[in-house]
Amino acid sequence: MEVLTQTIVNGIVLASIYILVALGFALIFSVMQVLNFAHGAIYMAGAYVCYFWGTTFGLPPWAAIVMSAVVLAVFGMLLERFCFRILEKDFNRTLMFALALIVMLQTAADVTVGAYVKRVPSVLPGLIRIGGSITMSKERIIACVIAVFLLLAVTLLIKKTLLGRQMRGVAQDRDAASLHGINVHRIAGIAFGLSAGLAAVAGGLMGSIISLNTYMGDAMLVKAITLVIIAGMGSLGGLLVSGLIVGFIDAVLPIFIGGAGSEVVAFACAIVILLIRPSGLFGQET
Amino acid sequence: MNDREKGNGQVIGRYGVVAVVAAFLLLLPWLPKVGPYFLHVCILILTYIIATSSLRTIYVSGQASVGHAAFMGIGAYTSAILSMRLGWSPWLTILIGAAGTTIVATLSGYLFSRLRAIYFSMVTLFFGVAVEALMRSWVSLTGGRSGLVGFPGIGVLSVPGIGEINFAASKTPYYYLMLLLTFFTLLVLYRIERSRTGMNWMAIAQSPLVASSIGISETKFRMLAFGVGCFFAGLAGACYGHYSGVLSSSSFSLMPSIYLVIYMLLGGMSHFAGPVIGVVVLVAIPEIFRSLKEYAPFVFGVIMLLVIFLMPQGLAGLMQSGKVWYEKTFRRGAL
Repeated sequence: MEVLTQTIVNGIVLASIYILVALGFALIFSVMQVLNFAHGAIYMAGAYVCYFWGTTFGLPPWAAIVMSAVVLAVFGMLLERFCFRILEKDFNRTLMFALALIVMLQTAADVTVGAYVKRVPSVLPGLIRIGGSITMSKERIIACVIAVFLLLAVTLLIKKTLLGRQMRGVAQDRDAASLHGINVHRIAGIAFGLSAGLAAVAGGLMGSIISLNTYMGDAMLVKAITLVIIAGMGSLGGLLVSGLIVGFIDAVLPIFIGGAGSEVVAFACAIVILLIRPSGLFGQET
Repeated sequence: MNDREKGNGQVIGRYGVVAVVAAFLLLLPWLPKVGPYFLHVCILILTYIIATSSLRTIYVSGQASVGHAAFMGIGAYTSAILSMRLGWSPWLTILIGAAGTTIVATLSGYLFSRLRAIYFSMVTLFFGVAVEALMRSWVSLTGGRSGLVGFPGIGVLSVPGIGEINFAASKTPYYYLMLLLTFFTLLVLYRIERSRTGMNWMAIAQSPLVASSIGISETKFRMLAFGVGCFFAGLAGACYGHYSGVLSSSSFSLMPSIYLVIYMLLGGMSHFAGPVIGVVVLVAIPEIFRSLKEYAPFVFGVIMLLVIFLMPQGLAGLMQSGKVWYEKTFRRGAL
């Protein structure tokens, strides 16, 4: 019973963080038609910036996460303005720039903090007791709560506000949106900033659960791509389902067949889903 | 303009350049100041040239694969495990490794051929990551996380007329072996690309719909491109495995695959020589700056940024526009 509950909670925590990262990846893809392979590196940078704010500048952990989100959001907007906008409509060069960004960010993290094992200070240390015998660390619960809250906020932003409608308009048809007086570049900049900010928050939250290393972004990038592909490009609601599927596979399977084995199963599942439904579980047929 | 119309000087000049390059490559191990480490880097470069050129063949057919290193891994592990468990000669197992890679690639290429564009890229990405995770989790066969050690090197080869070549004694025989393989690979890939098959690949890359409307079987030719590309990847992986003597699954994971894509894109995908130039520049220049230690990858990044923003066609494109500039400035009459 105890193991079961903990596994379920772990699954939800992992799923919510995966969804945060994947949401940003999907947002950039649908608004800008850019496969941002550097998204994992931005997530890693978010965790490291959070570590910096927390230790070197001594901010309280929650403020560190907020500040790292702000820093990375500004960084993302600058990237959009000065790099991705110049390379617009050139798929190969955009891809290459994202890859160059991975190299630069990983090296920067290696040089500044070093490859030693680091950990972001926890937002809420300590354990919580649920119903007698089950204990959970509070930071996992709080990570999950923050992630779910952010997901709701972003979903509301996209579905209900004018900005969100403009984003969806640009995603649907860039030229038509531009003809209707939407500043496409401004929307792309905001989307990029939002996506980088979300990745930074996810990095900060994950950084207090597991330890930091410079390659943490690679695994997360693959996870984000898996989520987006399984859900189908452009389906936000689908991310929720695919996030829960992947989160639970990651939480449950390692108990039975070990970490690497569960990865084999997870990616085999992703391949099979992609082969059966090429546009994802919830994507529109194109 | 073909050779007959050109002046004798130009033809001699071109063959002269080829002869000088060939002589340089052949005599490289005997040049002064060339130590074992230098040769090691050269062998690395040659391995990557084979892998990246074969990756380009797959891209020519319009398939943007992001899991090429995994196929190198399949070749390397197949060859290493066969030679270790069954005691077969590495010469045989390298071929079996390459053939095995081709079979896996053709089968998966058939399955993946219904996916196009980025969906194909993503499925190859998943395939690559899954293969790497399999290598890590199958501890009894592959050694798992700690890597596979203890399989034989190529050993001693006795060639009639030359005598015995001891591969274990120095890196020079391996260098010549890789040089020969690279030459063979480039020749085969170039011939295929310039043949009717290559034209069909390019047609499919431009428009699968139009290509199939004029009777080019998309599935067949995409499978062929994937199989041919992965054959050479498996070959390169198997040879490199026997050369280094250690196999670790992390050298075949996502990032190595992405690096192969970087080499290719940076060299210039539209030119056959692109991957060769990309690999030489991107492997050699960071080696020159090796004394910078942890800052060295910045050099790599800066080269990439320079190429991205200043040379839209990649490094090979620079070569071509340099040629045009030279002709314009110095040989006004010749154009």
